[in-house]
Amino acid sequence: MDNKILMKGNEVIAEAAIQAGCRFYAGYPITPQNEIPEYMSRRMPGVGGIFIQAESELAAINMVYGASAAGMRAMTSSSSPGISLKQETISYLAGAELPAVIVNMQRGGPGLGNISGSQSDYFQAVKGGGHGDYKMLVYAPSSLQELWDLTMLAFDKADEYRNPVMILGDGIIGQMMEPFYPTLYTTPDLPEKTWVLDGCKEREPRVIKSLYMGDGELEMRNNILQGKYRSMKDKEVKSEGYCIEGSEVMIVAFGTVARIALSSVLKLRREGFKVGLFRPVSLFPFPEKELFLLAGESRRFVVMEMNAGQMVEDVRLASNGRSEVVFYGRTGGSIITPEEIEEKVIRLMHRRPQFVNKKSGIR
Amino acid sequence: MAKALTLKELSKKEVLISPGHRMCAGCGAPTVVKMVLLASDYPIIAANATGCLEVSTCISDYTAWKIPWIHNAFENAAATISGVETMYRSLKKQGKIDKEIKFIAFGGDGGTYDIGIQSLSGAMERGHDMLYICYDNEAYMNTGIQRSSATPYGADTTTRPAGSVVPGKTEQRKNLTKIMAAHNIPFAAQASPSHWSDLVKKVRKALDITGPKFMNIISPCNRGWRSRTDDSILLSRLAVETCFWPLYEIENGITKITVKPKEKKPVIDFLKPQGRFKHLFKPENEALLAGIQADIDREWERLQKEEACFAS
Repeated sequence: MDNKILMKGNEVIAEAAIQAGCRFYAGYPITPQNEIPEYMSRRMPGVGGIFIQAESELAAINMVYGASAAGMRAMTSSSSPGISLKQETISYLAGAELPAVIVNMQRGGPGLGNISGSQSDYFQAVKGGGHGDYKMLVYAPSSLQELWDLTMLAFDKADEYRNPVMILGDGIIGQMMEPFYPTLYTTPDLPEKTWVLDGCKEREPRVIKSLYMGDGELEMRNNILQGKYRSMKDKEVKSEGYCIEGSEVMIVAFGTVARIALSSVLKLRREGFKVGLFRPVSLFPFPEKELFLLAGESRRFVVMEMNAGQMVEDVRLASNGRSEVVFYGRTGGSIITPEEIEEKVIRLMHRRPQFVNKKSGIR
Repeated sequence: MAKALTLKELSKKEVLISPGHRMCAGCGAPTVVKMVLLASDYPIIAANATGCLEVSTCISDYTAWKIPWIHNAFENAAATISGVETMYRSLKKQGKIDKEIKFIAFGGDGGTYDIGIQSLSGAMERGHDMLYICYDNEAYMNTGIQRSSATPYGADTTTRPAGSVVPGKTEQRKNLTKIMAAHNIPFAAQASPSHWSDLVKKVRKALDITGPKFMNIISPCNRGWRSRTDDSILLSRLAVETCFWPLYEIENGITKITVKPKEKKPVIDFLKPQGRFKHLFKPENEALLAGIQADIDREWERLQKEEACFAS
């Protein structure tokens, strides 16, 4: 489509899902993502799809488990406290290798927290909020265009890897409106779903499960899963850099913070400060190699997040001591302002890099 | 048995939910809470499920509650108060506390009928000495009027919108009061803020009974019901007078209708002032209205038979 349209973030996700062939959505009310179930309830019947408002978040994601096993493109959405409730089944989806798209429009925590946008579920999303050794593909959109594109991609990747995929947004991006191009969905070349439970009258019965009690069986199972996660690491990393060349300070930020930081970076560049921005789009797999290559003594990383410091740990691991890594964050649903970013960057630029051991680069 | 209180006596008691809470003008919930707390002669400890009532009574550093009050997540007010009540019993046994304290959990219909029913059922079955009060405003009002299993047939909600094909909610509401009574608890009842004397009497009776008790109280929401802010008590009265919300109690398995409308009004009297039922009054939906009336008649008939069965 050539023309941009104006929509609300949450509705962009819902419509992109429908365009990508999602015909099963189960949800439960929680602010700030209610527009997703509300939109789905209006839109799904018209495309022959199914909308179910479940009696709890647990029920909603387990409905997705069932629908996915039956071969449907299925999605559920919630916000932080509700996503906490879904963790058990996310682990089951990963263990049973069932594709699903899970949307988390994060809000401030912990506990009931508040309903402002936040990024404090990074650990939960990328380190495995549920039990067991599993990974989800996690995408962090920072514009409505990306919400549209990544939601569509999430369905493809979920099917390709037979794995749950998470869209990690926040209340800000979900509630805001901006124009975007509603590009047409094109069906990629995906493997046929030869595992779907759709009646075995004229074929061998199939089994979908995550219970492996035999001697060594579960370890073999885990090895297969780990192989899959490694291949995600090889192929599915997505990131973007802005004004990277010649930058002495590089902001690392994802989602909403990255879009705020970009305006600061452009302004600081105009003022002559050698600042850049690196934005991980996929949080798992994390752009480790990209960051490693950008790291070095002459470049410092300042990680900015709307949490108390979560992604910063992955940036430190990726930098592996080659760059000084500092952190700036706001918690509890407070938004980082461009002024704050500019002040932090300028202050950092006026301070000498702090290295204890020059050789190893460890502070 | 606690003696009945007159309005004059009630008016002299301290109101335990203070003005300045941020519930909407015309909301039924604070009226319900006020009456429940006024009714008690005992000190109360309350638990609150997430919802309008909880959010609007504990903004920032403030609380509207003049009693000890605990909030936990959406699905577990009954479990939370179970913990508090058990600790109280333990302390009492150890001789560290001698006061007679009563425990009440408050939840909306979303937190009670839907996500909270598991913890509520567990608490009732374990037999905690507690009263659970559901203020039933018939949808998820706090998050923006999504349907719940308490939403009545035909109501327009944001996740079951009435349109040209679908006439709002097409499922029947859950009869939660009966479900709770089926736990064989000593006391389960329905009440309405319009009938204050009946409501207060039921709360007083419940608090004097040892064991798990449940009360379901209709609580008009002008935002979700699309009604006038000054019509809330009128609507809760019409709910009773049309037998949409019959006032009854089930004490030790015996059903008693506590308020019998002198003249049973047609249900349209209750539906008409509410915007959420507006579409039902289109000519093509006449059959739906007749169906709603028939359902109410049948339920009312059944309830009367139940009562008669025990009376004989």
